[in-house]
Amino acid sequence: MPPLYQKSLRILAGVFVVYALLVATHLGEFWPFSIYPMFSRGGHPWVRSVVREAPGEPSDALWQPRRSPDALPGRPYPLAPADINQNDIANFVSKSDSWDAGRVNALRKVFGEILHDRSLLIVRAEGRLDAQTVTVAYTPFILLTPDTTLFNPSFPFPTRER
Amino acid sequence: MKPFSPNLFDFEREDTFGERLFFRIFEGVVLYFILTFAWDWGFYILKIGDVVLPLGIANHLDISFLFAHKLSLLNAAAITGLMAAGFFRLWRFGYLAALLLLHFQYAARYSLGEISHGSNVMGMALLALALGMIFFAERKHARRFTFGFLYFFLGLGYVLAAASKLIGTGPGWVDGRHLWMWIAERTVDTFSLSGAIAHNWLQLLALDSLPVATMILTFGLLTEFFAFLMWFRRTRPWIMTLLIMMHLGVLLTMKINFPANTVLLILLAYPWGLWLDRGLASLDASFHTRRTRLSLRQS
Repeated sequence: MPPLYQKSLRILAGVFVVYALLVATHLGEFWPFSIYPMFSRGGHPWVRSVVREAPGEPSDALWQPRRSPDALPGRPYPLAPADINQNDIANFVSKSDSWDAGRVNALRKVFGEILHDRSLLIVRAEGRLDAQTVTVAYTPFILLTPDTTLFNPSFPFPTRER
Repeated sequence: MKPFSPNLFDFEREDTFGERLFFRIFEGVVLYFILTFAWDWGFYILKIGDVVLPLGIANHLDISFLFAHKLSLLNAAAITGLMAAGFFRLWRFGYLAALLLLHFQYAARYSLGEISHGSNVMGMALLALALGMIFFAERKHARRFTFGFLYFFLGLGYVLAAASKLIGTGPGWVDGRHLWMWIAERTVDTFSLSGAIAHNWLQLLALDSLPVATMILTFGLLTEFFAFLMWFRRTRPWIMTLLIMMHLGVLLTMKINFPANTVLLILLAYPWGLWLDRGLASLDASFHTRRTRLSLRQS
């Protein structure tokens, strides 16, 4: 084999080894290397989020689960015009197992000055496949007001301090 | 069919002006996307205050140092300088250094839990450019290596994506009801982003018909699985065209857009260098004919 090809294949093999080692030791992700596992688990339940402008004072009724987005309290608060990434909010909701002060402040920081004059309700949307239909349950999760942060009392999330 | 490595690198083929011009266009596109990522992420990092899910280097060091003092913007500025050093051939390690700094930028930007793949292919393109520049003194060889490297790892990436689906779910992954689940998931995302719910014609078609939904997923899985065909010159344009169609399908059914990925596929799928040569030759010929006619008329 001509030396140029040998050299190229050696570099390719070297990068392949580095690629394999890095993804194997970092749960499949080490940018720009990846095993691209997106959408690999078909039919599994998912958790996303929806943000609403909260209506008035919080009451017990605010935290009730709903079956339709039309039944949610308040008005929609679209994230795109506010330049907030939907995946970031959804991941706060789905991947945070502990809501300490640091995590709460980090969530509030994403919304920044928006929270100075309004309250936002973050709703947890859970989708699952039931036989031949997809059902989505909407449960109000966190209320961010200008002064405080309230959690749905029925969620058993630990909120230990750091 | 040629053996594997000449198919990827093709060092013997004659170098042309069209190929050189196309390579600079390709490099310019990579530069544009890398700088867009660096600055977009740099500004977004200013909003971040905590690491929800550490990615890459963030597993080994506290990436939150980039959240303060506008360091993410300084990092974006450094990446810009290094990319310019690479593009204008001022420093041959410029692209590699930019890639390393961009890894920090990525780890900080995606520390809130999202694992974004929209920039991976552009990152691989930057790595290909960096290695070509470092290991090959002759420009022609560096160009051929860059493209060959990218064909290999781009094809491998899609095959890994197909393998992940077969391992994660099995052949039943193509069940159309799974597509219903993802459409519902993306509908919630669109509702959250815009405040309104709207389905397009392909989503409605897939939601109305289980066989159509299953066919869409089958096409996607098979296309990814056979992406290794881009390692061979003869099959490359065909499989890459199918991959472009697959990304259009993902955009229509799930409203997930990977512009950097699709642009790179379009650039790598077809013999643009050859087409540029032909286009320039025909322009040259018509210019020459016009000049001859004009000089005949004047004489």
